[in-house]
Amino acid sequence: MSLKPITMPILSDTMSTGKVVSWTKQPGDAVRKGEVIAEVESDKAVMEVEAFEDGYLAGPLVEPGREVAVGETIGYLSDRPQQQTEKASPARTRASAAGGAAAHAESKSPEETPPPAASAAEALAEKMPALSPVTHARHGQRERVKASPYARQLAHALGVDLGRVTPTDDGVIQAAQVVAAALRPPFPDLEAGPPYRLEPLSAMQEAVADNMSATVHTPVFRVSSRLSMDPLLAQAHEQKLSATLLLARACAQTVTEHPRFNAAYTPEGLAQRERVDVGIAVDLAGGLVTPVLRDMAGRPLAELAEDWRILKEKVFRRRLAREDYTGATFYLSNLGMFPAVDRFDALLPLGAAAILAVGAAREGKAELTLSCDHRVVYGADAARFLESLSERLADPQQLLW
Amino acid sequence: MDEVLYWKALNLALDAEMEADESVFVLGEDVGLYGGSYRVTEGLYAKYGEWRVRDTPISEGSFTGLGVGAALVGMRPVVEIMTINFSLLALDAIVNMAAKVPFMSGGQFPMPLVVRMPGGVAKQLAAQHSQRLEQMYMNVPGLRVAVPSTPQDAWWQLRQAIRSDEPIVLLEHELLYFSKGPLDVEAKAPPMHRAQVRRDGEDLTLVTYSRMVDLSLRAAERLAEEGISVEVVDLRSLRPIDWESCARSIAKTHHLLVVEEDSRFAGAGAEIAAELAERCFFELDAPPRRHGGEELPIPYNGTLESRCIPSVSSIAGAARALLGGKQPGETP
Repeated sequence: MSLKPITMPILSDTMSTGKVVSWTKQPGDAVRKGEVIAEVESDKAVMEVEAFEDGYLAGPLVEPGREVAVGETIGYLSDRPQQQTEKASPARTRASAAGGAAAHAESKSPEETPPPAASAAEALAEKMPALSPVTHARHGQRERVKASPYARQLAHALGVDLGRVTPTDDGVIQAAQVVAAALRPPFPDLEAGPPYRLEPLSAMQEAVADNMSATVHTPVFRVSSRLSMDPLLAQAHEQKLSATLLLARACAQTVTEHPRFNAAYTPEGLAQRERVDVGIAVDLAGGLVTPVLRDMAGRPLAELAEDWRILKEKVFRRRLAREDYTGATFYLSNLGMFPAVDRFDALLPLGAAAILAVGAAREGKAELTLSCDHRVVYGADAARFLESLSERLADPQQLLW
Repeated sequence: MDEVLYWKALNLALDAEMEADESVFVLGEDVGLYGGSYRVTEGLYAKYGEWRVRDTPISEGSFTGLGVGAALVGMRPVVEIMTINFSLLALDAIVNMAAKVPFMSGGQFPMPLVVRMPGGVAKQLAAQHSQRLEQMYMNVPGLRVAVPSTPQDAWWQLRQAIRSDEPIVLLEHELLYFSKGPLDVEAKAPPMHRAQVRRDGEDLTLVTYSRMVDLSLRAAERLAEEGISVEVVDLRSLRPIDWESCARSIAKTHHLLVVEEDSRFAGAGAEIAAELAERCFFELDAPPRRHGGEELPIPYNGTLESRCIPSVSSIAGAARALLGGKQPGETP
């Protein structure tokens, strides 16, 4: 009998870990090449994993919801309908999930070397990144962490608590892990407050957190304006189009008129893009995504409306691919559907010069706030931008080709 | 600058020193009429005559002892032992006499003795002629051990050894005699024990000596293509060792690999790794590793022989393993 490992696939170029959302087959089930056997969650999307050849799914399968590094084994394909091999030894898994570094070390000690038959399961159990350093720090079990002398010295110099550093797969902390921890945002002191439990971040929450944290170095200024929304809303109603789509179209045309707003700051110069791609913030249970409509000023509205419909469908089904949500040159965040919202500021994602935040319309007018990267555009530029936008909103006819 | 063979650089160094100082003379088996097993004394017999280029019987103990005696009375003998394997017969003269007399006489007797010998694994010379016994001489206080890896160093270090009043073992390598390299006879020599960085790197300090320098440089080249930047330090001297140069490199790379042709157990690399671990403990980001020969008398069979000592690819593998945190032997 031969067992071939199924590994965590790389679904986007930023993906370093993934989670199995669910197994669509059970151990022992016959599968055909190309058949879906599992669903895997990457940075933002859920994707299907297909069998790479005919065979039988074999355990131990990695538990759904557990974060696994790309390339790690998540299950096996067998050429025979095997009895399920022992499940990743439950006792041990529980022990390490409880967070004892001792339990982890134990499973690695030579006396505990498992018999060869169980080695696949054991290897998997060992690799499970079950113990989060945060967990055992909280339980106060200060086991001695395996760190290189240089890593310890660095941690001391940088004021990094080794208990909060995520070690390598081998369970060792080296300089690179300390530096990574030092660059992570500070950990709040929760011990002073009420008891708590940690909910792990979903891949999407993590991606949003990373993207938003990355914006803190952008010098932003904001300019607000109360603009008449009635003509645009009426037009949207009449054409049976989404108001957000028409707003994005108005923004894109305005950007074309003020091309500085299509630039991105880089330390080597301003990246002046040839096309206006608008990222639109979309509310989603447990997160936020910004699907991107390409060439928003240069294509017929009907085409854009169809693209928007497809993107929203993908968002709803959580099938958005990386190319669907990256590379915007301008952003729009519309909270106009919430009548309580007067106005708000949006955070400006890296790679764009401005983002427009739209509040709810009151007596025909809504408050719009443009947050701009001051390295790219200046106050008067923003004022001129809003002037032009105002003209478009007053006469939405020109948006409709 | 001229490119010369390693043996020729040694030959030029002997010639220069014999011409400069009449008290310098060479002795050993086949050094005179025959010109030396590896041509190092070629032409010297004709130029300086049989008093200063002395053929000896096959008796390492006695002619090395003769060298010690001559040094005691003010001569500057250069003893050639045909290979390091035969120097086992001369250990009493080297270890008990040469290394001790200056100390036991309270400094009254200097010991300007040079003992030259090739060592290392060559091409199918079998177990008794393929030894690397440098660790034996390293463990003798009172001796100096130099290991030139290039013609330039051969020229510099042999001349420095002859001019020194301390007993010095000059370890050459049988496969280096016919390697070529630039020689600048005018260039100013660095101190005899000073280590040299042969290649700058950022990720890993590779400390090595003698023939393994060349193999390590070629491995570093290969690793550079994979994005691994290796700094190669040529020790040039095994007693004393220039620890500061090694430590400086480790402070930059935070990783140490020692490469030696000798078998690992209690070999030269053991001392190098231990001392550097003591000195650089807080700089190290991974355990220091030694990559050396197998724990075996070297087999005669050529295929087995080449598997018993480090090669370019095994050195590259050891470097990858060290940086990747995996055990050696695993395919990276």
